[in-house]
Amino acid sequence: MANKKKLHRFFAKIIEKLFTFSGAITGITILFITIFLFVEGIGLFNSPNTEEGYGLYINSSNNIENLTPVEIKEIFDGEITNWKELGGKDSEISPFRIDDVFQIYPESEFGENYELLPDKLNEVVSKETGIIAFLPLQYAPKGAKVRELPAESIKISDYFLGKDWIPTATPSPLFGVLPLVLGTLLVSLVALIIAVPLGMGVAIYLSELAGKRQRNILKPAIELLAGIPSVVYGFFGLVVLAPLVQKIFNLQVGETALTGSIILAIMALPTIISVSEDAMRNTPRSMREASLALGATKWQTIYKVVIPYAKSGISAAVVLGIGRAIGETMAVLMVTGNAAVMPGSIFDSVRTIPATIAAELGEAPVGGPHYQALFLLGCILFIFTSIISVSAEMVSKNKKYNTH
Amino acid sequence: MKKKNIVIGLILTSFVFLGCNSSSETSQVDGVSKKDTKTSINIKGSETVLPISEKAANIYSKTENSQLVSVTGGGSGVGISALMSNNTDIAQTSRKIKFSEQQKFLHEDKEVKEVIIAYDALAIVVHPENKVSELTREQLEGIFTGKITNWKEVGGEDLGIIPYSRETSSGTYEFFKEIILKNKNFMSGIMSMPANGAIIQSVSQTKGSIAYVGVAYLNQSVKGIGVSFDGGETFAVPTVENAKDRSYPVVRPLYYYYQAESEEYVKGFMDFILSAEGQKVVEEVGYITIH
Amino acid sequence: MMNKKISQQIAFGTFKLFGVIVIAILFSILGFIIFNGIKVVNWEFLTGFPGEGMTSGGIFPAIVGTLYLVIGSLLFAFPLGVMSAIYTNEYAGKGWIVKFIRMMTNNLASIPSIVFGLFGMALFVNKLNFGDSILAGSLTLGLLILPVIIRTTEEALKAVPDSYRQGSLALGATKLQTIRRVVLPTAFPNIITGLILSIGRVSGETAPILFTVAAYFLPKLPTSIFDQAMALPYHLYVLATSGTDLEASRPMAYGTALVLILIVLIMNLFASLLRKRLSKNNKSK
Repeated sequence: MANKKKLHRFFAKIIEKLFTFSGAITGITILFITIFLFVEGIGLFNSPNTEEGYGLYINSSNNIENLTPVEIKEIFDGEITNWKELGGKDSEISPFRIDDVFQIYPESEFGENYELLPDKLNEVVSKETGIIAFLPLQYAPKGAKVRELPAESIKISDYFLGKDWIPTATPSPLFGVLPLVLGTLLVSLVALIIAVPLGMGVAIYLSELAGKRQRNILKPAIELLAGIPSVVYGFFGLVVLAPLVQKIFNLQVGETALTGSIILAIMALPTIISVSEDAMRNTPRSMREASLALGATKWQTIYKVVIPYAKSGISAAVVLGIGRAIGETMAVLMVTGNAAVMPGSIFDSVRTIPATIAAELGEAPVGGPHYQALFLLGCILFIFTSIISVSAEMVSKNKKYNTH
Repeated sequence: MKKKNIVIGLILTSFVFLGCNSSSETSQVDGVSKKDTKTSINIKGSETVLPISEKAANIYSKTENSQLVSVTGGGSGVGISALMSNNTDIAQTSRKIKFSEQQKFLHEDKEVKEVIIAYDALAIVVHPENKVSELTREQLEGIFTGKITNWKEVGGEDLGIIPYSRETSSGTYEFFKEIILKNKNFMSGIMSMPANGAIIQSVSQTKGSIAYVGVAYLNQSVKGIGVSFDGGETFAVPTVENAKDRSYPVVRPLYYYYQAESEEYVKGFMDFILSAEGQKVVEEVGYITIH
Repeated sequence: MMNKKISQQIAFGTFKLFGVIVIAILFSILGFIIFNGIKVVNWEFLTGFPGEGMTSGGIFPAIVGTLYLVIGSLLFAFPLGVMSAIYTNEYAGKGWIVKFIRMMTNNLASIPSIVFGLFGMALFVNKLNFGDSILAGSLTLGLLILPVIIRTTEEALKAVPDSYRQGSLALGATKLQTIRRVVLPTAFPNIITGLILSIGRVSGETAPILFTVAAYFLPKLPTSIFDQAMALPYHLYVLATSGTDLEASRPMAYGTALVLILIVLIMNLFASLLRKRLSKNNKSK
């Protein structure tokens, strides 16, 4: 008898420890996710800014010390054609890639295992004074007339303020996140401009005006809207909304930031409506009745009494709506056209941060700079949404202090 | 009393994470045991090769004793990347493995086998109402790098050009960049679609659009145009016949890559795809067989 | 005088209009999918395999894959979440620990789904070397719904009146026995509501499974947790954007969207029926 009790108590203790353990895991999980994301991403700023395993070589008579990734891109794209544009001598730039050497010499001259390749490359680089060659380190030419341009690590300012996101450009991938950040913000803010007035209106209707019958239709409808999966919204946007936008605004292409904003607005609506409605319903009856007793109309009561009272709840609703919009992936991926360019108008195609991660993560070799750049994007997103969630909480806590 | 529980909880949790970290050292062992319980061949990569793999997998799985074959797209880059991190058995690609990618494999002492399973012609397509039927390589380069922006500059009507591209993970993207753009970068504002199917749909709906797809994706809803590689002397239209006799010059091989150590594991499927039956699949999908 | 009334009428009229707009949006989305999808969904569609470049056949493997993922993620998240909630609600004091865990849970709830996908891929697929597998996908999705389960369980537990607990303790039961025999059964319907809502959520999420489990095509069903799986939301995505003949696979896409929406609809219905039943029970008490 005593033994059975001891056994029970033993089990009870284990179960209780399990409860504590679960609580601990939940608390630690987020910390773990944060740290993990940062660890995977932060290596980016120690990575060289030219493709791994490759180097840039110029003729030793060239006095250029270093080149930024953007300059390298423009050289190889043929947009900068003379060294003097970069502060060097007045001579034409000849970009050269490893494959070009096979056009100059027949393959037999390179030896069985390409042992003679470095010498051949040496010849090529030494002859051309204006050359800039993008060559694998393995076959690096070494000679008196050849100078290697040292690869610098990717700069933080290039990442956060760079205007070009071309992660697979060779020789130098460009990881400027500005167009992505601006694209995300544009789409989310326009979504809010659409969703907040609409949502507030419906919330007011629900909390002040609607009868039981209307509530019984509207409330389930809103819950349903909230439950529709993101990819279904994206499908709807792709097949119905984009052609519609194209027709109405007479654009050439329907996949624009505006289309994305409309879909995001629909997705954020349920959050905004339900949180605002909750906040407004919690206005004490006494305040409403006092206002009506003083002769105000119902509408005046609403915008002079209820809404100011529910201010913090409504702000929380808007903030949560922003959070929902910023983090949305599939719907935006399918309707915004995904052009990584600084957005000029809402009729331009934009690329948001979540869509970029979804589209590019698969091909980024694990641990490489592209991979790390994407992780940092994830960190940025995570920070945005954490700030949003914390402010939403703080804002609604304010409300609790206001009630008395 | 409660504080003690919390401390115990934290200690237990940290053991769990220590365990996670050490498992990455033993991942070699884990990898082998995972393969033993795994019963499927994974094929990942090119959206261009996808229809071939899908059909072949379907037929192969109906044969006796065959393994489950799972096929996923994402682009050639996705396939190679997955092959590098052991997340796939076969990488299907529409471009040759890059030099830097090969280096990465050598770095880890892994040998990669390359097998050509079909040939594909790259087609340039425009909106069906577009009057332009021929473009030179130089004009294409100008269009896709953003230097030529209106159809009237290349003999068409006064309409803005809307170029579409695949994502950077695509082998078709890389191939187009190498052969048509001569390794210059696409213009920065180009619209990126995730797959060939989406491109065809957008081009068929957007006046003034132009894009590049594998020839198997050509259909009635878009118009394929002729391309000239000799400055306008001769133009060739992308069709399977022209690709077969090489009169259409933009032809590329489609590959399967796998790690040498998985050779035994993937042999059944590899033999199938190279056999007459497998090549019939290639033809049915719309590509060119290896013979 | 007139101005007040007129501005009220305008305002209220606008708000009513907004309400109608929201319903119209819902109906157009649902209508679009139901109308187009109903032509496609039949028994063969639900039990057949996809064929001919996704232009015919069915979506059975996607349905099964989603089922596996739902079960897998709940297996992971449900016990962990419920136990966590029991800890914070019944055992922990009001100190900083509870506040910390609650704040972390809220944070977890606001993380975008793609970040879960990112994390899941880096940790489960790569570092722990599970590869693209049902295991990795379930763990990632489990993390996604963990805060949902914790939140709904906490609310469910909070709704149990303290008098129940005190009565039980007064009768000599231990804390654990109280929880097991009094609190949990009372809170049970609400906890299950959270479970049901999570089912709907997991079925519809695409971003977390993009890099952890989803396959474009599987000719046979997965047989181990280390296999890849097809899943309904990913299937809709690829049907809408990939494949050789988008026009021809469009009907399949509509059908998939319809099945997805039906799952969400049915789960929502179950959840609200349960809630109604609970409030009836409470009223009788």
